[in-house]
Amino acid sequence: MRNVWIIAHREYSERIRTRGFLITTILIPVIMVGFAAGSIFLGTKGDSAIRIAAVSSDTQLTLDLQAELERQQDQKEQSDAEAGATQLTPSSPRHQHRIVIDAIDPSPATRARMDEDLDSGEFDGYLWITPASAPGSRPTFTFTSRGAGPSSVKNTLASALSRVLQREQLTHRGIVAAEAESILQPVQIISSHRARHEDVESAQFSVSVLFFVMYMVIMLYGMNVARSIIDEKTSRIFEVLLATIRPEAMMAGKIIGVGSLGLTQVGIWLTAASLLAGTAMHFGGGELHIALTLAQVVFFFVFFILGYLFYASIAAALGAMTNSEQELQQLNMFLVLPLLVCFVLLGSLLTAPDSTLARVLALIPPFTPLLMYLRVSLGHPRPWEVALSLVLTSASICAIIWVTSRVYRIGVLMYGKRPTIPEILRWLKYS
Amino acid sequence: MPIVQLDHVRKVYDTKVAVEDLSFTVEPGTMFGLLGPNGSGKTSSIRMMIGITVPDSGSVSIFGKPFSRKALARIGYLPEERGLYKKMKVLDQLIFLGRLHYITASAAEQKARAWCEKLQISEALHKKTEDLSKGMQQKIQFIASLLHDPDLIIMDEPFSGLDPVNAALLMDTLLDLRHEGKAILFSTHRMDQVEKLCDHIALIDRGRLVLSGSMREIKSMYPRNRIHITFEGDDAFLHHPTVESLKRFPGQAEITLRPSPTLAGDAQAFLLCALQSARVTHFEVTEPTLEEIFIEKVKESSPENIALTAEIEEPVGSCLDA
Repeated sequence: MRNVWIIAHREYSERIRTRGFLITTILIPVIMVGFAAGSIFLGTKGDSAIRIAAVSSDTQLTLDLQAELERQQDQKEQSDAEAGATQLTPSSPRHQHRIVIDAIDPSPATRARMDEDLDSGEFDGYLWITPASAPGSRPTFTFTSRGAGPSSVKNTLASALSRVLQREQLTHRGIVAAEAESILQPVQIISSHRARHEDVESAQFSVSVLFFVMYMVIMLYGMNVARSIIDEKTSRIFEVLLATIRPEAMMAGKIIGVGSLGLTQVGIWLTAASLLAGTAMHFGGGELHIALTLAQVVFFFVFFILGYLFYASIAAALGAMTNSEQELQQLNMFLVLPLLVCFVLLGSLLTAPDSTLARVLALIPPFTPLLMYLRVSLGHPRPWEVALSLVLTSASICAIIWVTSRVYRIGVLMYGKRPTIPEILRWLKYS
Repeated sequence: MPIVQLDHVRKVYDTKVAVEDLSFTVEPGTMFGLLGPNGSGKTSSIRMMIGITVPDSGSVSIFGKPFSRKALARIGYLPEERGLYKKMKVLDQLIFLGRLHYITASAAEQKARAWCEKLQISEALHKKTEDLSKGMQQKIQFIASLLHDPDLIIMDEPFSGLDPVNAALLMDTLLDLRHEGKAILFSTHRMDQVEKLCDHIALIDRGRLVLSGSMREIKSMYPRNRIHITFEGDDAFLHHPTVESLKRFPGQAEITLRPSPTLAGDAQAFLLCALQSARVTHFEVTEPTLEEIFIEKVKESSPENIALTAEIEEPVGSCLDA
């Protein structure tokens, strides 16, 4: 144990003094804020207007349509402002597009010209309105768009048109405009979650930031462990070390030392973030703040440490098996792939942390640290699920460390050639 | 009680036999040379003495007991491939390595400073390893293996890559340590270095022991049939009939006499012949060098080895016909 401590202490104190540590400590939050700001910026850009030409001989109809669309959009903005939250989910109204209608009179050549304009990008689509053939029946509408446009555009148009026609018919039957308006008033559903956080969006944002931090740090420091082992192999220092201490102690010291550095870095970030928590952060007009409970922070560290141990042990084995950074690159998919799967699933699991997919995956050890953390923070996992995931992950960490220390013992002494799978299996039997 | 004892040790790597049936002992207070050409199994043998690898069969005893990791605290090891953290300051590095050998940080620092002064590299203490020359790095590595005052010092090729001045400095240091009663084992493929330094040697070739024993014993086993001569003038005497083979150098020659019961007389006859035609400034009759013994031994065990000595020419001249 004494030697483990000496090795860990060296790793920690040498690494914390490097410029690399300082740079990543500052740079990663900057990148993340930039990333968040960038996606919000792109989101706002997506709000740009969609130009649609409405071809109709009935000018009143197109004017009404224009007015109706504008009214709908105003209402939406108003309700957004009332909700006072930034919608992050893709289906949120933020991502709907403002539709601008140009009225055009039909003439025999119009159709061909419209197709041309559509191709040249003058319009994003055109709506061809054929007047009703008989009184009492409705006109027919044909919407032509370039490629597969957003389906929301068609839906918006359809609902606007039907309201225009409804209003027209109501007015025809002698109903006063104001009364017609109240009949047509759309139903508003105010959503309310029985969630632990009053502010679901902020909680999701905070958790996904921590999720990203965990993903980055585990990957970064896992690779650091592997790289530092390769470094010791190429500098041959391990031979000096092996002449006094056990390979297991070397490996444990390295994983603990590098991991403590990772914890230090995360600690610095969280402290900085909690200092910022008082002052709410404003992003693109929407209001977001860090919404974390103490339990979330504690679980973050528990799952972070488990995740780090899991992946760092794998990385240590990869480092012991390879002789150069290049060889490591070829093998590091074992490390990156499961993490990447979690990262890719983040979007869909964030809104459905208790779905079957989330429940199953969170119990599988490579995914547990990130996904169970997500469930604990945002969903309602059963206590036995959390306990089982902790047991399974801890057990698999022990198994991996057992295998890794054997690979390490022989792997560090093998240089010159990369071992084959049968050789690795023989190593496991041998030691 | 021998300090190191290898007993019928065998070590096989995947397809290659690295060490085969190797036995030798290192006695206390001696300087032991492990000799052999490149790839003969020196490093493999040494690694088994410090527990980096385990013999497939046979046993290794250290300080009179079967190998255990406890013994490592009393062993100083200098690996063949030097290993130091490149980015770490020398003093920090020495303290770190000292602590791994169970001495306190302050004791390690004190020792490190004392050794650096002794080996004349105190200015390196506050530099990073990567800023040091290769020779200086080697001295630091040398110091690292001695910080904890080990009773057994094992060094793999300690003098390779050093200039003569520094090599001599390290040799003197090793001799001092032996006088203090430490047992020292080192490997080398430079046999000329060993003759001056070692009390005992073991010669190995392709993993097998070729020859072992005290330097004096081994030398006395061989007849004094080598002549070193430095001369000016006619060199025809070199073809004297008692000469079996010779190596020519400018103004010098190394001669091996034919085996005969009257070797001493043959040498005298050769000198007389030489004096007739040339002015001799140096004449020495010796045993074969270790290198020659080694080559001879290897030739015996594998006849396909090519003779390294020059073939003798047809004899000509007056006293040569005797």
